[in-house]
Amino acid sequence: MAPNWTERISAFCRSPSGFLSGTNPEAFLSELLRELRDDRASYGVKVLLLSPLCEYAGLLCATGCAGEETALDLMSVFAQCPTRWAQFRCHLLVALTGVLVCSSCASGRSRASLDFLDLLLQIAQDAGDLHGDGAQRCLRATACDCLREMEASCPGLLSQRLELLAGLRQQESCRLHQAYVGLQVLVLRNAVYQLTQEAGAGAAHLKALLGGNTSAWEAEQEAEQEASQADGGDSAVQSSLVLGPMGRVPSLHTGPDCKELRSVLSSLLEESYLLTPLCQAALFHRLIELVAMVPGIPPSILRAQLLRLLGTNEVCLLHVTLLMKCAFTDSLFSAEDEAFLLKRLVVLSQHPLLSAPDKLFYMDCILHFPENRPIGCGDSDEALPVLLTPQLASALLPTVFNDSATLLARLNLQALVYLEEEGEEEGEEEGRGLAYIYEHLTALLHIVEGGGSRDIVVTFFRAAYLFLSYFHRVEQYSALLSQQLCRLYLLHTQLAPNILNLVQQTLHSLAGCSWAVGLLRGLQGAITEAPLDQLTLPDLSCHLRVLARVAEEAKISQRSSLGFLSAVVTRSSLRASGDWRLGNGVLGVCRRLLLHPSLDSLLIPLADILLHLACNYGDTDIQDHARLYYALLTTVSWEKLSAVLAQSAAEGGGQVKRPTLSGVMAESEGLVHTLSVHRAETAVFQLSEARPQPQPQTGGPPLAQDEGGGALEAYRAQFREAGSAPQITLQYRLTHTEPPHPRFEQLFSIRLHFSLTDQNYEQLQDVSVPCLFTQRPAPVLRLTLTPRQPYPTTIHVSAVFTSSDGLTWHAPVPDIHVSFQHTFLPLPVPPAWSRARREELFQELWEEMCGEASGCAVSLFCCQLGGAALKALLQEHFLPFLLSHPSQEDGFWVLLFLPPRSHLLLKISCEEDAVQFNMATDNWQLLPHINAYLLRITCAQDLPVT
Amino acid sequence: MSLRALWIIYNEKGENASIRFSRRFSTVEHRAKSLAGSSYVAVPEDSSFLQLLLTELGLSGSHKSYVAARDDCLYRPRSPAVELRLDGKGTLWPVLALSQAPLILACLPLVDIPSEPRPPLANLLSVSQGLTFLAGLQTFLLGSAGNLDSEGLVSRMATLPSLLLQVCPLGTLLDTPQAVTPTAPTVPTSAGAQKQPAWKTGLHRGRAMVNVAVVETVRSMQYGSPTRQDLWDVYGTVTCKCEVEGVLPNVTVTLSLPHNGSPLQDILVHPCVTSLDSSILTASSVDNADGSAFSGPYKFPFSPPLEPFRLCSYTSQVPVPPILGSYQLKEEENNLRLSVSLKLHESVKNSFEYCAAHLPFFNRNQMGVVDVKVSSGQLDVSKEKNLLVWVLGQKFPKSHEVTMDGKITFSGSSQGPSDPLCTGLTAYIKQLYLKVPDTTLSGCFVDQHSVQVYSSAKPRIITSRELLSKEYYIWNSTGPAPVSSGQMMI
Repeated sequence: MAPNWTERISAFCRSPSGFLSGTNPEAFLSELLRELRDDRASYGVKVLLLSPLCEYAGLLCATGCAGEETALDLMSVFAQCPTRWAQFRCHLLVALTGVLVCSSCASGRSRASLDFLDLLLQIAQDAGDLHGDGAQRCLRATACDCLREMEASCPGLLSQRLELLAGLRQQESCRLHQAYVGLQVLVLRNAVYQLTQEAGAGAAHLKALLGGNTSAWEAEQEAEQEASQADGGDSAVQSSLVLGPMGRVPSLHTGPDCKELRSVLSSLLEESYLLTPLCQAALFHRLIELVAMVPGIPPSILRAQLLRLLGTNEVCLLHVTLLMKCAFTDSLFSAEDEAFLLKRLVVLSQHPLLSAPDKLFYMDCILHFPENRPIGCGDSDEALPVLLTPQLASALLPTVFNDSATLLARLNLQALVYLEEEGEEEGEEEGRGLAYIYEHLTALLHIVEGGGSRDIVVTFFRAAYLFLSYFHRVEQYSALLSQQLCRLYLLHTQLAPNILNLVQQTLHSLAGCSWAVGLLRGLQGAITEAPLDQLTLPDLSCHLRVLARVAEEAKISQRSSLGFLSAVVTRSSLRASGDWRLGNGVLGVCRRLLLHPSLDSLLIPLADILLHLACNYGDTDIQDHARLYYALLTTVSWEKLSAVLAQSAAEGGGQVKRPTLSGVMAESEGLVHTLSVHRAETAVFQLSEARPQPQPQTGGPPLAQDEGGGALEAYRAQFREAGSAPQITLQYRLTHTEPPHPRFEQLFSIRLHFSLTDQNYEQLQDVSVPCLFTQRPAPVLRLTLTPRQPYPTTIHVSAVFTSSDGLTWHAPVPDIHVSFQHTFLPLPVPPAWSRARREELFQELWEEMCGEASGCAVSLFCCQLGGAALKALLQEHFLPFLLSHPSQEDGFWVLLFLPPRSHLLLKISCEEDAVQFNMATDNWQLLPHINAYLLRITCAQDLPVT
Repeated sequence: MSLRALWIIYNEKGENASIRFSRRFSTVEHRAKSLAGSSYVAVPEDSSFLQLLLTELGLSGSHKSYVAARDDCLYRPRSPAVELRLDGKGTLWPVLALSQAPLILACLPLVDIPSEPRPPLANLLSVSQGLTFLAGLQTFLLGSAGNLDSEGLVSRMATLPSLLLQVCPLGTLLDTPQAVTPTAPTVPTSAGAQKQPAWKTGLHRGRAMVNVAVVETVRSMQYGSPTRQDLWDVYGTVTCKCEVEGVLPNVTVTLSLPHNGSPLQDILVHPCVTSLDSSILTASSVDNADGSAFSGPYKFPFSPPLEPFRLCSYTSQVPVPPILGSYQLKEEENNLRLSVSLKLHESVKNSFEYCAAHLPFFNRNQMGVVDVKVSSGQLDVSKEKNLLVWVLGQKFPKSHEVTMDGKITFSGSSQGPSDPLCTGLTAYIKQLYLKVPDTTLSGCFVDQHSVQVYSSAKPRIITSRELLSKEYYIWNSTGPAPVSSGQMMI
């Protein structure tokens, strides 16, 4: 067997959940490990095999137990791999780091993780690449990075090794010193952080830490570390300590005497120039944290690097300078520096040589500028720095040549500038700024008028919303905008959804702003006054959509809308066409008008329109609806009408409407609603396994009488006569998911549909359940599976059912998983067979399987188990399949029948210190599954006994 | 300061986008989980990530004019970091995305400060690091020139796994991806105290050479209107290629200005520059420049990397644009009368490598009869019949002024290209191509003798300078010109 690993690995990485639904993580992991150990596989393939472990270590090794074993396996692969396969060895180290960190072995200081740490340190110290062996150097670099990652994930892991790491960094003169710098500074930072958490720690502790004589308080510290891990203190250590003036950084009180630390920091700063910009930024970030934690070291230690950083063209280096300012404010940056830095940011935000994302990032930095003396303390809100004058900000005025993200960001910034101005002085300056912004908005509008792309259209509406959200009170401009939008709408009616969206959002978020209503009124005017003859059908349906929205506003008089409707329905060309959508559009407006408070005054013209539709429209459905509306209008009082209609008027939210009269009326929406199958987004109920007693003789071959002769022959004979294939039966309880949705408390006519995810089983029939109530006991259903191959599988389930309000629903049901042990059946022989006869059969099968027959295989599984534990294990998992007597001492025979006709035989015996599971099977493909199964049950058995 | 995941998406014409490469970093994800606590949001699988990102970038459902999830006016994508709204499972933030056809590069940086309430981007170092990394990756995959080499792209994509092992093995960013150089000679360990910079991939052996090129680019917006001020600006870059022996050789390049030159502003330098004088950084284009500003010489001491690099960039405020133009259109019955004049400023060297003006016409039929005369140079009509190309050649005439007059009939059978900006008489000349060798507008130059190299061998030193143009627009003064720059308010 040579499965196509390239394909399988890429399928796994594309969708791990999909891939694992066909197998299980344990089985996949053991396959990967087996292939990695296989000498025949090429190293190219092996690198590929490691990628699931590197990327999804947490998924494949979820438990500490699995992580530990996988790590031991991988380390033995590492030990056996020739040094010339450097790439593969590097990938192995990365995979090992992932496995140990994600399975929490590293934070628990497990044996494998300590071994791995020793291995890494050994590689890191092995400077045996004097003759420029690039491969060895690559391995050392990776080892350093793995160490750094282990320390980052489990802070304090390496704090005892600080002196060693400092020495390694100083020795190294090739490019690798960068890796040691990153490692040393992180370990130092974490160690100092730990000291800050210890009461009474001071200069002496710090000195000891740097000098490597930590033995005095090592034990004490370790105990504390463990305590802090137990209560999940890890995340606080891992968080960045660059906080603004409002944040509190833990500090270590050393007094002014900490020259050892100071000299370490200066030597790191001196070498900072030699690092790549990305590593420099990371180094400075760690140094900022260190200096912030140790008040004995003045921030001015960083000053020598400042000029170099302020002039840089690298975004991450300038950013780290801003973080420095954020942490140390005026103890490192004078007022002049502050003004300079802000000007620099403005320059960078519009520099012709920088990329658009960098510029946007700088603009964001302006709005969150770390001021020396901040006025507000809102941390996440955008606020203008005091020093950003309109004069300075004018460099960032938007232009029509900007891309949309830049344009909106600039518009937002300018709006903030002029909003502030507005508060201060009502001068000419303010008027000009606002005029410019508005002029810009108009320019955008002209582009939209000229047929701009979708991107420009969306940008314009976003800009308009932004403008309104800041300046909707400035009557002069908001009124003008409203007029221009009306004109734009008439030119491009397809913009109706965008305009209605703008209306909705301004109504919703700008409370007390009447602008949106004004715009709707304007649109109503524009639509109703335009000549009707030139309208195309798409225009008309957009108009009707807008008028329907207008009709929802109680404050707007609907007379002109009615006039328009009346003109539309009497226009002969349209009436004759009998377009259903158009008729529906008209009815939509009418229905909202039925709810309008001024209905009394609209009664006669509305009735005319409805009557006209009912009598003359070319579509029967529309006629019927119009007749119904007409009847309601003319016979039911307004109060009753609104009570009937109100429910359906509250649209949106995807909530179910009652299938009442209003549903039938709401331009057929409601009718469609009751007739269609609704889709529930989440599961409403689930199938949970109800442990049945194994069905001793389910299906199976018919039970022939024992005719004497060879047991095996007699046994085989049964199969020859067999009619139906053997089946396994699983029982499930159908229960509501918690918490049950009130609407779904009572369900009827449930039909469950099962779909297989692989070819290993025969198709399943649908299952019906009459009802499911929350208050009643859960119904139990039996699922009968006919295996083609006895492998684990996952079955997708969906359900169709009726809720108590009469609607029909389609809902997903959580997948059901058929595990390997579900497929176990006891030996299908007549009950009359004696134990001896069964044992005879076992013996004969065993001998056959140990022979040369195709597909057969034998295997051995060992584990450490006490005698009592073994008994318990047998009792719990193998009792129905046990052939020998349970009290027998020397060994146990277990026979598992796996339909349709596979067998798995186990001889379990206790040796001195281990339990041996001797296995034989006539289907070798079952071995990985049984292995995983045994591993799981023995692992679980392990704990209580030892 | 690490990435949780990285994606490379192939999206050629906005159709059939697919993920070509993705990488998750399990240990960083593990940290993300413990840092975020209950507000942790897992990274979705590739296919759903792709859908969400495309919607967020406005690239999904291109055939629909309005999709609520994509086009809501309330929502303002805070590029460069976008958020992906997962279906009922929280919001994935901050996803950094960089697009350059045909690729979209995206990554998810780790948030190492409390994520509730959402912190500003400016507080996350991993964001700027992510941007640097993505930009480097983009240059590595697509090259800086911008012309796509699809075979090269495929082969470079194939090297990504081994490249990532070097620059970002576990999610922590160490360097930007660069073309892997075959093991370059490195320092013998006995080199002593001098450490090799991590950004220097090897050592140069052989003849020493220093090449310094100053390239200035001029941009302009000319309206020819009494109410609207014309605008222009100049920015320059100094590119170096240094082949000098030694682990950390010292080189100093000095930029000088002529006697009355206006100071260089907004100077940005490469990280290999070792030290800077504060006076070099003070002049800024957003300030009101005062006459007392420092005007050089500008000294840049540095230790060069092996590959060519941009030592520094600057902007300058020059008093006049190199070419002053006027453009007038008049709509007549069935044709368009046009008159153009271009005047070269006398301070600019009248010796071009090339100079050409483009006059595009939008939202009209194709050109029929072109009855246009030029006083100098040569006039071409593009194949598509919607663009006049006026090739001015190497020299302006003695008068330093050239003109074009005549009329065009748009009687072609088919419609020319459309542009929502240039409707009616809104039109421009786009003087795209202009190159003047051996000159700069600001006067900035590098004297060959001012380049100092502290090394045993005497290097060969080459310096050069040239002037280019970009975004050089001359708007029709008889039609409305759109708001195109804010500077005019000042």
